[in-house]
Amino acid sequence: MSTNQASAVRPLARASASRIGTRRQRTPWGAIALFLIPLLFFYVLFVVYPLIATIWNSFHTISYNMGQQVTTFVGLDNYAALFTDRIFHTSMINTIIWGVVGPIIEVVFATSLALLVYFKVPFYRFFRTAWFTPMLVSGVIVGLVFRWIFNNEWGLVNTALRGIGLDALAVNWLGRRDTPLWVVIFVHFWATFGFSFVLILAGLSSISNDLIEAARVDGAKLRQIITSIILPLLSPTLITVTILSFTGKMKAFNVVWVLTEGGPLHASETVATYVQKRAFAWRTLDLGYPSAIAVFWFGVVLVGVILLRYFLNRGSYQREGGA
Amino acid sequence: MKKTFVYAAVLLLSIMVLSVGVVSAQDTPVTIEWWSHWANEPAKVAVIEQIAADYMAANPHVTINLTWWDKDPLRDAIRTSMSAGEGAPDITTMDSDFAIQWVEAGWLVDLDQYLPWDNFVGGVRADGNYSDIGIDGQYKFNISNVVNMLIYNPDLFAELGIEVPEDYQFTTDEFLNVVQTCSAAGYAGVANAIGNRPYPAVWAVQYPLWTLVGPEQFRLYDNGLQSWDTPEARQVLDYSVQLRDAGLWPESFSTMTIDEFHIYFHTQRQACMMFIPTWYSGRAFKPQDAGGQDPEWHFGMLRYPAWENGAANDVVWGAFESGYAITTASQNPDVAGDILAFAAQPRYGALWTAVTNSPSAIRFDPAVDWPSDELLTSLGVTPGQWDWYWEQFNEVYRSLPSVSVAPARCGDFDAAVVSTLNEGLPLGLLSVDEAIEMLDSALCVQ
Repeated sequence: MSTNQASAVRPLARASASRIGTRRQRTPWGAIALFLIPLLFFYVLFVVYPLIATIWNSFHTISYNMGQQVTTFVGLDNYAALFTDRIFHTSMINTIIWGVVGPIIEVVFATSLALLVYFKVPFYRFFRTAWFTPMLVSGVIVGLVFRWIFNNEWGLVNTALRGIGLDALAVNWLGRRDTPLWVVIFVHFWATFGFSFVLILAGLSSISNDLIEAARVDGAKLRQIITSIILPLLSPTLITVTILSFTGKMKAFNVVWVLTEGGPLHASETVATYVQKRAFAWRTLDLGYPSAIAVFWFGVVLVGVILLRYFLNRGSYQREGGA
Repeated sequence: MKKTFVYAAVLLLSIMVLSVGVVSAQDTPVTIEWWSHWANEPAKVAVIEQIAADYMAANPHVTINLTWWDKDPLRDAIRTSMSAGEGAPDITTMDSDFAIQWVEAGWLVDLDQYLPWDNFVGGVRADGNYSDIGIDGQYKFNISNVVNMLIYNPDLFAELGIEVPEDYQFTTDEFLNVVQTCSAAGYAGVANAIGNRPYPAVWAVQYPLWTLVGPEQFRLYDNGLQSWDTPEARQVLDYSVQLRDAGLWPESFSTMTIDEFHIYFHTQRQACMMFIPTWYSGRAFKPQDAGGQDPEWHFGMLRYPAWENGAANDVVWGAFESGYAITTASQNPDVAGDILAFAAQPRYGALWTAVTNSPSAIRFDPAVDWPSDELLTSLGVTPGQWDWYWEQFNEVYRSLPSVSVAPARCGDFDAAVVSTLNEGLPLGLLSVDEAIEMLDSALCVQ
């Protein structure tokens, strides 16, 4: 009996292995290639090639003579020049401030709002739409609108401040050294936090309601539910949102460009706006130096993302371990 | 006899063959791509389109495609297309300062052989000429000849009891008092603002620098060929700070765009004066619903504030506005050159002046070349509407000698000028010492 059972199993296993083998043999490489090759082609053309070209340019100076492009290998000279470029230092400090402050504000604010919607405060459907809406507006339009809002003479902000008797606070927001960067950070936050909000809301929606109901039955208060159940379970989403927010700030361009063009006196200059200026608005045709800035900054962002992932993941594991 | 006959036959045949070649070359359809800025200045658009239409009528085998741009995107597009080696136009807008790299790169055709230089006003060959940096040739066709003006609002002057001197020229001290008076009454001294241009506040340094040191020294300072750490430069920078502190700039100085500050001056009338070249007319003399001024409102003109012992108190600061160049990407540079030579006729200098209300770099005789009322009307001009402007202009500036200075700044110095003179000093973010240090550290010649 047992022998029969064993022999009955063996042919089945063979048949199963044979079917798997057949499936392997039938891998539709043609279809895979059909779908992948066009994408790979555009990826190589618009991502890989420009990246390689930028790295290559960063080791050269590029000039033109009699209409012909002349490239001269300069080794690390362009990178060495970064150390003495005061405008680059200013733009780097500004961008790092933004890259640190921006994600913190964005994640805290977006998480708070997502929790309000998750717990269905009154009008939560309206808020869900309203808070995402700024994401639908072009960065250029956002920049223009906020340029008016922060107009020193008749802008909404200063008019409101003067209206309530706070004349001393009605300053030239975009015309000082100390305020433009913070205006830019605020405007960019306003324009983009909806994305983080939606991601976090999606993360919240994936948390099983049973866990929260069980905690409630066990007598957990709302604060405990949030801090001990929701946030730990939400941490993978929060890590992703933080990293996306960080990279977004480190390469932000359009809002800054329209709002201040990096001014005044480079007070709101970011690395992205400075690269654009050096590459296209500066009175030189050399793309070598701006390429060196771009490559250097790519490295900084890459290291920043790796460190961020490492520390955030470590924190997340430690919480899980402690729990 | 037989030999002579053979020679004659060969000669005749050669002439016929060559003639056929010339005729067929003339008849070959040619398309010329012409990129121009001034997209927001309908009068200038009308003149250039008229020239293109006239040329095509006279040369039916030539088609001219005009594309209108704002200046910065055009500059970027030229740079991109010339670098890429395709997509560049035959004719492009050219500014002497930002195109110096184009000339160095060999992207522009030498126009020396194409243009009838006698048709132009004196000094035009100094513009688009880079012999200072060892490049031979003429690279710019100028149709406009700019005069830098200082204009004022006579209604506000009357309201504030400010009297204009008989020679239209305040001293620098008097000018400072005018600014203080305007500011005390709640008006800006001048309407200029820097919302979308890197130069309107620089004028507050350039005008007094011009009168104090004169054209040649001015050129050296302005192009970064001379240290700013001199008593004269310091005197001018200190004066610009005094003007700033007296209330020279409008409150919306950092954000108002060039179109907006024109309106701030002529329609909102919130500023007593404005530094502005004669291209003021391009934005102001268009229909009111398009942002133009009331044609019945007559503003006044002033000579530049005079220094005691100024080297050029009575010299008008001239310049050449954007012009045109031919790119080396052109497959038909001779046709493009012929178009620009065609545009250099006196009648187009007159047409430019009549339609744009800005002086032309092309000489003309008003009695002979002035366009007919029919033509002007067809181009949207009401004949005689701006006569008062020209009377005023002739009264204040025409009797004075005018010298044009060609700008040619290197990249670092240009960026330093924008940072210090357009932003830092006028916004009070820098001291004069810091400004001088920044300018000197970026000089084009160390």
